[in-house]
Amino acid sequence: MDHLEFSMENVKQNKSQAVVGIKKDNTKQVNQGQSGKSERGNSNKVWQFFCSVKLAVVIILIMVVACILGTVILQEKTIDEYTARYGYGLATFFKVTQLNNVFHSYWFSFLLVLLCANLISCTIKRWRNTFLQTGFILTHLSIILILVGGVVKLQLGIKGGVNVYEGKTANYFLTQIINRKGALDYVKKDLPFTIALDDFILEKNEPKFQLVSYVKSKDKSKVLDSKLGKRQRVPGSNYKVTIKDYISDAELKQEPINTSDTPENPAIFVKLFGSEKVAAEGWLLAYDRNYYEDKKQNLRIEYIWLSSQEEVEKAINSIETSNTKLSVAVSGKGVSQDYPLDLNKVFKLEGTDFSVKMLQYVLNYGDRRPVEQQPTDNPAIQVEINGPEGPETRWVFEKFLDWDKMHPAKYKNLKITCSGLASTYMAKNTVRIYQSPEGKQVIVFIKDKHITEIVPWELEKKYAIATTDRQVMVSNYFPSFDFKKEVVKKSDQIGTPAVFVEVEGPNGKVSDWVFSDNQYATWYTDNNFGLVYEPTGESVKHFISHLRIIDNEQTVAEKAIKVNDPLKYKGYVIYQSSYDPEAGNYSGLQIVKDPGIPIVYSGFGALCFGVIFIFYIKPFLRKKLKKEAEV
Amino acid sequence: MSIINITLIVYMIASVAYIVREIWRSGAIKWISLGLLILSFCLNLTMVAKRSIEAGHPPFSNLYESLVFYACCTAFIYIIFEFVYNFRIVGALASVLSMLILFYATLQDDTIRPIMPALKSNWMLIHVVTYMLGYAAFGIAFVTSIIFLVTKPFVKKTKDDTGSEGKEILLRNFDKLSYKIVAFGFPFLTLGMITGAVWAKKAWGDYWSWDPKETWSLITWLAYLVYLHTPLVLPKMNINKSKASVMLSIWLLVAFVIVNFTFIGMNYLPSASDSAHIYGSQ
Repeated sequence: MDHLEFSMENVKQNKSQAVVGIKKDNTKQVNQGQSGKSERGNSNKVWQFFCSVKLAVVIILIMVVACILGTVILQEKTIDEYTARYGYGLATFFKVTQLNNVFHSYWFSFLLVLLCANLISCTIKRWRNTFLQTGFILTHLSIILILVGGVVKLQLGIKGGVNVYEGKTANYFLTQIINRKGALDYVKKDLPFTIALDDFILEKNEPKFQLVSYVKSKDKSKVLDSKLGKRQRVPGSNYKVTIKDYISDAELKQEPINTSDTPENPAIFVKLFGSEKVAAEGWLLAYDRNYYEDKKQNLRIEYIWLSSQEEVEKAINSIETSNTKLSVAVSGKGVSQDYPLDLNKVFKLEGTDFSVKMLQYVLNYGDRRPVEQQPTDNPAIQVEINGPEGPETRWVFEKFLDWDKMHPAKYKNLKITCSGLASTYMAKNTVRIYQSPEGKQVIVFIKDKHITEIVPWELEKKYAIATTDRQVMVSNYFPSFDFKKEVVKKSDQIGTPAVFVEVEGPNGKVSDWVFSDNQYATWYTDNNFGLVYEPTGESVKHFISHLRIIDNEQTVAEKAIKVNDPLKYKGYVIYQSSYDPEAGNYSGLQIVKDPGIPIVYSGFGALCFGVIFIFYIKPFLRKKLKKEAEV
Repeated sequence: MSIINITLIVYMIASVAYIVREIWRSGAIKWISLGLLILSFCLNLTMVAKRSIEAGHPPFSNLYESLVFYACCTAFIYIIFEFVYNFRIVGALASVLSMLILFYATLQDDTIRPIMPALKSNWMLIHVVTYMLGYAAFGIAFVTSIIFLVTKPFVKKTKDDTGSEGKEILLRNFDKLSYKIVAFGFPFLTLGMITGAVWAKKAWGDYWSWDPKETWSLITWLAYLVYLHTPLVLPKMNINKSKASVMLSIWLLVAFVIVNFTFIGMNYLPSASDSAHIYGSQ
């Protein structure tokens, strides 16, 4: 820091604001200039103007304004884009004043030429053959060199690109221009050699995942720290999150368990045997999915849980499980009527002008198969209504009671619902397994809508289904069926990562696994705080093109190029610039030819050395010289 | 408590110590305040090093990392200057500046992400380090300009401006001090810009393409270039010396705003979507 110490002294001695003595030289120059003025008249005035620092400062300030305009106004867009963004008037103004391409405009070029003239005259005027002047000369010449190199680039240089597919070659490239009409255009340029892409490698980074929290009441999401065991408060809320475990490739295994002996959620495990082998097996849940269907065999197994022994006794003697009915109600009139399923019969709605007729029904709306083959997923019935305003046909869905509310209907006050449609379906063979809390267990076999057999059933016993080769067996019974969830590791690779997260909130501590393949949030018990574990997006690690240059049918150069490492041949430089974003099939190459590079780079070198000399070396040398002078 | 919070607090304490030092002017407090600032610098440097190891790449790949490094450089440059000059109250504002930069970093996304191919270059290291040292010096010059403008009405005019009491004299010459700091930072800015151009040539095929970030770095460079040339112009313009000093100090304030606009603010420009440099905020 010696030289700075010196600089301070320099200020003391100099009483000037300049730090490194530029001022001293300058004052001399100014004096000389002023004395010469009267002698040489006009030509001297021009010379004075060109070599003044004032001019330099003014040019620089105008350049600053131009640069700001050049970043505030979008540059080198098509005329359509300008018109869309700024309107016709401004777009035309930009075009006329070349504000749409500030840095290649005539007035900006003029500014640079003026700056160059200023620099040259200034350098000549202040040229001294002293070593201390080195920095001044280098810096000012360097700017001239850089500007000259820039002109060479604009005149002789060329820049474009070409996409090459793996295993293919290219002997041309395209340059992008804005044509005279202000539209984007491409110009094809031939290369004096051929580029062959032998191999293209696109390597991606390992996918990364992040835990994102969401506070519903504030509609704020935040990426959380994925560190294990770190208790962190979610900013702007009172929730605290701790990641307790992480599995790189997790799988949720659900094991059925019985949680109590009171029948809260009765379930049986049913096996269906076909010639001694188990053809199908699974849990039937009384309150959930309570049937199994085998459309091929035309067989249906139902599990029916009834609350008392009497109900079972009553039910097993009838093939009807519930009444299929269509309920029609007219709002505001207090009229409501139920009708049995009976197609094409006209029912008059008493006390009104309405009548309804059932046209057809399906078990799975939209299914093109015949009704008998449809699963009972979305039962619906088509109804024709006749009223004062003529007929209206509508579909009534058993599971979507409010369908008509959401869809246009002529008779909006006519509310129609249906129930029990699903049970109208009866397979050729139906097996009904009845059970009640008292322990009454009965199987009813129904064939072609006739009860063929009623037998009490026991666990682990096979019962033949008449006229088929199938046997049915109840192998287990859980009065309170539930799933025990267990998360297991599938592999050591990154597959479906999951984190075990403990959340502390108003309802206390709650822990759960959050899976990365779950696109829905995992909610805390208050349904206000949710967590998602999501991929951060795949990023590209690197992309490499194995290029071969063929000139006169001979391979003259070979190189694997990547970003930051191009290939040079015959004044052309080939850069790795992009890749096929979809399939990664082609490599985007940038091709540049710039004969101005050596000039510009010498300018760069001179500038770097020049500023270091002026601000670091020169003050140091001055101090030394002064000391010597004092001695 | 995380290291970033501790660093913020130590910067704050250091700032308070510098204010106390300005009031009491005792020898002990001088070393305490400097020691505190060096401590916060070391903590800040530890953050940079830790991040570098955790991320596995030079710690300037996004805005968060750059800001942490920027804060570190500001403290570093100040500490160096304090050994050369008797800076006194400047230290209080310099630590506040570092603290503010670091605080701004805490608002950024600090997720470690894989580095993109264009950033994998040794030029990145020299480019960012030189720029940040330059920016840090301008930050200190910004602080000295503020002090100059604030204290100017209270400083008595003395005939003997230069005096003979050595370092103390600079207290009345904060404008000259600003000039020295800018002169120190300018070569770094130049080197940063040139290395950036050379790197751009290697990575994108062109050393200069009037990308908005490049244009703004040129604006920054030109702003300080004008400042460095004004001592040659102002004496000829019949502006009195004290007015000129005020103008130059204001110019430095504006120039530092430009620095920060180039660094952070330009991401909000309409042309930013055309810029190849907008990976900083990701």
